[in-house]
Amino acid sequence: MWWKILIFAAMSAVIIAAFMTPSPMNPAISLGDADVYRIFYFHVPQAWVAALAFVLSMIFSIKFLKTRDMQYDTKAVLAAKLGLVFAVLATVTGSIFAKMTWGEFWNWAEIREVSIFILLIIYGAYFALRSALPNAETKATLSAVLSILFAVSAVFLIFILPRLYADFSQHPSDSVVDREGQITMGATVAAIFFSSLAVFTALFAWIYNVSLRIAKAYDKNLPEN
Amino acid sequence: MPGSSVSWAAKVLAVTRKDITAEFRTRYAINSILMFALVTLTVISMALGLMTPDSDLMAALFWVILFFAAMSGLAQVFIKEEEAGTALILKLSTEGLVIFFGKLIFNLLLLTVLSVLIVPLFIILLKVTPQNWAVFLIGLVLGDIGLAGATTIIAAIVAKATVKGALFTVLSFPILLPLLMAVIDITKVAFGGGNFGDISTGLQLLVAYDVVMVTVSVMLFDFVWRQ
Amino acid sequence: MLKLEIDKLAKWFGQRKIFEDINLTLEIGQSAAIIGPNGSGKTTLLRLIMGLSYPTRGEVIFSEDGKKLDFDGYRKRMALVSPYLSLYDALTGFENLRFFAKVDGRAVSNDEMNEVLEKVGLGGRGEDFVGAYSTGMKQRLKYAVALLKDPAIFLVDEPSANLDESGRNIVRGIIRAKKKDSLLILATNEKEEYELAGQFCQLGG
Repeated sequence: MWWKILIFAAMSAVIIAAFMTPSPMNPAISLGDADVYRIFYFHVPQAWVAALAFVLSMIFSIKFLKTRDMQYDTKAVLAAKLGLVFAVLATVTGSIFAKMTWGEFWNWAEIREVSIFILLIIYGAYFALRSALPNAETKATLSAVLSILFAVSAVFLIFILPRLYADFSQHPSDSVVDREGQITMGATVAAIFFSSLAVFTALFAWIYNVSLRIAKAYDKNLPEN
Repeated sequence: MPGSSVSWAAKVLAVTRKDITAEFRTRYAINSILMFALVTLTVISMALGLMTPDSDLMAALFWVILFFAAMSGLAQVFIKEEEAGTALILKLSTEGLVIFFGKLIFNLLLLTVLSVLIVPLFIILLKVTPQNWAVFLIGLVLGDIGLAGATTIIAAIVAKATVKGALFTVLSFPILLPLLMAVIDITKVAFGGGNFGDISTGLQLLVAYDVVMVTVSVMLFDFVWRQ
Repeated sequence: MLKLEIDKLAKWFGQRKIFEDINLTLEIGQSAAIIGPNGSGKTTLLRLIMGLSYPTRGEVIFSEDGKKLDFDGYRKRMALVSPYLSLYDALTGFENLRFFAKVDGRAVSNDEMNEVLEKVGLGGRGEDFVGAYSTGMKQRLKYAVALLKDPAIFLVDEPSANLDESGRNIVRGIIRAKKKDSLLILATNEKEEYELAGQFCQLGG
């Protein structure tokens, strides 16, 4: 219960701070309306949680293959479900931002838009496979293998994407990091941003825990492993 | 009944040879793959018509055709074993990795046949010639190895699904994406007349991808196969 | 000495219990029959014994001289005949026999193949495509493949499925012979067959 209250209070504080402080935009090198840049406080943490959930889901998948304990499969699926939700949120907020600043919802020349879209496809493929498999055991095993394969592929993408997109990234380089990879945030922006990151991570952990308890209650008449 | 023993490589080749024999007699995969490639090629070359697209676009189109043709047939190696009911006895008859490499080699041969057919047709119909054949061929060979190496385990996964449909393509795409990006880059250079100096990073990446994907598949294959 | 121990085995599919508390110990020269109505989990139990499915609880252990065998350790010496498995229709009888022996690491002579085909009553049909065989002939060829492997662990699911009277007699002859030199498990509801086994494992109540 206190978890819920704490997250609610912290999230409210982040939202208020995000709108009451000056915009994180650096007018010297950025386009568009300064207020639009406030989305950065929410968009980036969502993308972070989407990626974190993917890594978590893969770790649970490895644990499942090692132990054959179905509770790890339940955990892997939960993490993936939440990851999918946050990936959708990040894609939508990112594309609203793109429309407001560059005039189009989608741009294939933007590396981070491409990355989050690939993450969406990965989640989609994971659930497409699960729904096509006949029983719980096969679902658990094969989707665990798939999620490890996706993770390996993702590592290659992390290497190859920046190389291909080096020349024409439009992502606001002033908001968190510049083109040389240096952090350029001011102290206030950094404080709000990292608080938001922490709150979104906590929110994810809280939803995950509640869902896990529901899943366990539902499976109560299953034998103990 | 003790017989003379057979080496590991001979077992693998026995699996490949069995599939080739069955393929020649039934034409299960090859016809559909080749026709699919031909149809895609025709659609693209007719659609482009009188346009003169640049070589960058051509490189992408070349791999799009190869990707979709491969997707139309490479999963058959495992689907036909599951559907015919032969997978069960095969699991008890040999090590999982013998099956994995036997099927991998078969798919690689299938892709080689496909490439040998597609390349001349692509050059004739789309009027584009690689300016640097060596770069083009090394990209093609490493690309084919990657296509077969990364999707063989996916084929085994898809064979277990009740609704196979487009699942093979859906699952393979995120895994093949790094391969496709690297190999399209190399083919662009080949069409544009660059040389090996321009593709060194791409080549390293491609070799690393092929090695890593096959290694990871080897580590995971038994989980999929022993179901 | 090869030994199978099944200890408090239970299998659930999701919320549905298939069976639980299955116990069985077998050695070479001993046999067991799994009996029970349709849907009681006979085939599922066989899959668990083969290591192609995982127990919800309990374990299945093959061991040799007290040392636990891994999957490949017992798989090499195991053969299965079942209506749920098929051989290659696009290959001939000989090609099937040669293929399954070869991937298992053995080269077999024509004499050996002719011998097992004679045993199952398929003498002279080795050059024919399996696709042209009747269901009964296919079932006989499965026994030929199994016999060629000379298994120490022999699993038979519905031994006489699809077989005519002469086929049944051949199969019962094979089962009697294998009973002596292998660890034999039958899944059947035919009285004449389960009576051949030394132990029973009753599923489904």
